[in-house]
Amino acid sequence: MNDDSSAYVRAVEERAPANVALAGKGVGSPKPRRAGLPVALSGLLSSKWLGLVVAVLALALPYLNSSTYIIQIGTDALIFVMLAVGLNIVVGFCGLLDLGYAAFFAIGAYASGVLSTKCGWPMIATLPVVVAASVAGGLIIGGPTLRLRSDYLAIVTLGFGEIIRITANNLDFTGGPNGLYGIPDFGDFGLRSDVAVYWVTAAVVCVAVLFSSRLGRGRIGRAWRFVRDDEDAAEAMGIHTYKVKFAAYIAGAVFGGVAGMLFAAHQTAISPPSFNFLWSALILMAVVLGGMGSTPGVVIGALAISLLPELLRGAQNWRYLIFGLLLIVIMVFRPQGLLPARAGEPKRRRRGGVA
Amino acid sequence: MTFRRVAVAATAMVLGLGLTACGGNLSQGGSADTGKGDIKLGMLTPLTGSSAAIGPHMKDGAQLAVDEINAKGGINGRQLSLTVSDEACDPKTAAAGAAKLVSDGVAISVGGYCSSATLPTLSIFNKANIPMIIPAANSADLVAQKLPNVFLLNGTGIQQAEAASKFVKAQGSSAVALLDDNTSYSTDITKRTDQNLRQLGVTVATHQSVTAGESDYSGAVNAVLGSHADLVYWTGYYQEGGLLIKQLKAAGYQGKIMVADGSVDEKLIQIAGQDNAQGVLATMTQTPQTIPGGQEWIKKYQDKFGTAPGSYSTQAYDAVRVAAEAIKSAGYTDGQAVMKALGQINGFSIFSGPLKFTPEHTLSEGGFDILVIRGSSFALNK
Repeated sequence: MNDDSSAYVRAVEERAPANVALAGKGVGSPKPRRAGLPVALSGLLSSKWLGLVVAVLALALPYLNSSTYIIQIGTDALIFVMLAVGLNIVVGFCGLLDLGYAAFFAIGAYASGVLSTKCGWPMIATLPVVVAASVAGGLIIGGPTLRLRSDYLAIVTLGFGEIIRITANNLDFTGGPNGLYGIPDFGDFGLRSDVAVYWVTAAVVCVAVLFSSRLGRGRIGRAWRFVRDDEDAAEAMGIHTYKVKFAAYIAGAVFGGVAGMLFAAHQTAISPPSFNFLWSALILMAVVLGGMGSTPGVVIGALAISLLPELLRGAQNWRYLIFGLLLIVIMVFRPQGLLPARAGEPKRRRRGGVA
Repeated sequence: MTFRRVAVAATAMVLGLGLTACGGNLSQGGSADTGKGDIKLGMLTPLTGSSAAIGPHMKDGAQLAVDEINAKGGINGRQLSLTVSDEACDPKTAAAGAAKLVSDGVAISVGGYCSSATLPTLSIFNKANIPMIIPAANSADLVAQKLPNVFLLNGTGIQQAEAASKFVKAQGSSAVALLDDNTSYSTDITKRTDQNLRQLGVTVATHQSVTAGESDYSGAVNAVLGSHADLVYWTGYYQEGGLLIKQLKAAGYQGKIMVADGSVDEKLIQIAGQDNAQGVLATMTQTPQTIPGGQEWIKKYQDKFGTAPGSYSTQAYDAVRVAAEAIKSAGYTDGQAVMKALGQINGFSIFSGPLKFTPEHTLSEGGFDILVIRGSSFALNK
């Protein structure tokens, strides 16, 4: 498992428990001690086959029900999953509280929207520019702000989110408050166009979820978790915390940007209100609701946040009230999230865990 | 590695599904009207969010028309039914709502309030071959794509800006302050009013954009006071409009205040405070209060719903009647035929006058009136 780890990460992992114990913080048990139904359920949910089953279900949805509505909200939900998984890298893995994540979503959507409507590029050709723009956005905001911690970082990213939205609102080439419309999709491949967009989205999101999950388990993922749990200890152990945090931030930015591109192709019209603070808050809520740092949990959280308001459409004026109440109830009974990251993950410590 | 295996399997699935996907209904359009049972009309309107007060007005207006037409035996022997879906003044919610209406098999759409939320729904209805008669949303962007299925039943920003500029000129204002909320609909009107006023030789003292949803507009209020404008024209929605009126008056502003049709709702008066709102002017499409024979219609509406008609009740009512007229003359509910029939309507009587669509699918006659707030409601300015 650790063959590909560099010496310093291995060293960090071997020494860290002792150091943390010395610092009086306690050491997590390497083996879970829970028993009964939660373990069985947790085992089922973290089964290696679950991801495959969900991916197959997602890809097969148009065969189960191909009504325009189901495809529409299915695509919305998948894009939201991608956003949540991207933010999970930043918040869940690395512990950087980002309240302006919708900014990268907007950068991706606008980059592809402007190039495809004003310059006539095919949608797929905008992908490299979308990625480049997201990375550039991540560098510009991450450069100065990642030296900050906790609350301060949250405040600056919150400001960044609003800056991007208000900039889009005031520039002419972004269409100002009217936004961009008539954005093309990826081509219909001989299918109904919304189904074609759905499959492109589903394929991209499946790959993205795998990618993020793998990132979280790799060497850099362990470095992220170490930074999250104790930044000072991580730095003392030789992890370049600034670089590692930067990597998380940029990775999150790229996920957000690509999700923005999918959103632009799916909606065909984008305008600044689609990228307001509520969006950043909802994405963060999906991560917290699902369980920070747990990819399956975050996917479930994102599906819940995205689909609940639609399932409650029948409740008319009451739907956001019921939605809010459900979220409160879930957070009261599952403060750690619906499906939190497992305590028994190899080399994983919990803050203040059982000794 | 299990995850690599999953990745390979997922990729194979995508390819497999893509190759075999030619069967089934995946290559056809949405669920079309079946030709039997009720003819379904779909309406997107804000039932939640910042403009939630408008939804019931539009819904009731449309329902009134549906019931009247059904009482007379429906269209071509079929009854009408109205399906309402929430747009929440949010593009994503509106797009999902539009998709829901398409899946529900509506034959024609008679909704659309917020312009920015209506924009993403255009292509959804267009792909499903469903004509849209938009009763309220009126940004010029809606018809800029020249989609064959989009018809605007409300006067556009062009017509509203014209009416506003003419009135301002006639008032003899020396300096005008334009305020918008940076939304598609609102800036459309201020930009056009700005151009018109300059052509008419009226000074535009300041042009401010505020951010919707805030509670303190002292920045804009101070800019207005500093510019010595004697008339303020607010083109956003009623929630911010009410606050602006209140804060302008509190800051000692003495000049006239005028608002555009998005602010014409009694909530504006409640938010601003009745004293502050007295004498506030408004540009608004013709309402039953202001046209001959309108009182009868108001009574009918009140008897049925127990409340007075609000903003866009009349346009929603008209949208249903126009839809019914087009289906009747087309003979059936096929999208293309109905769109053709809509384009050919000439002189059908609606609240804003005889209806004829321009080649751009907007009203040939806008018919904006100037209203004024007296007491707790809007009245025609004479």
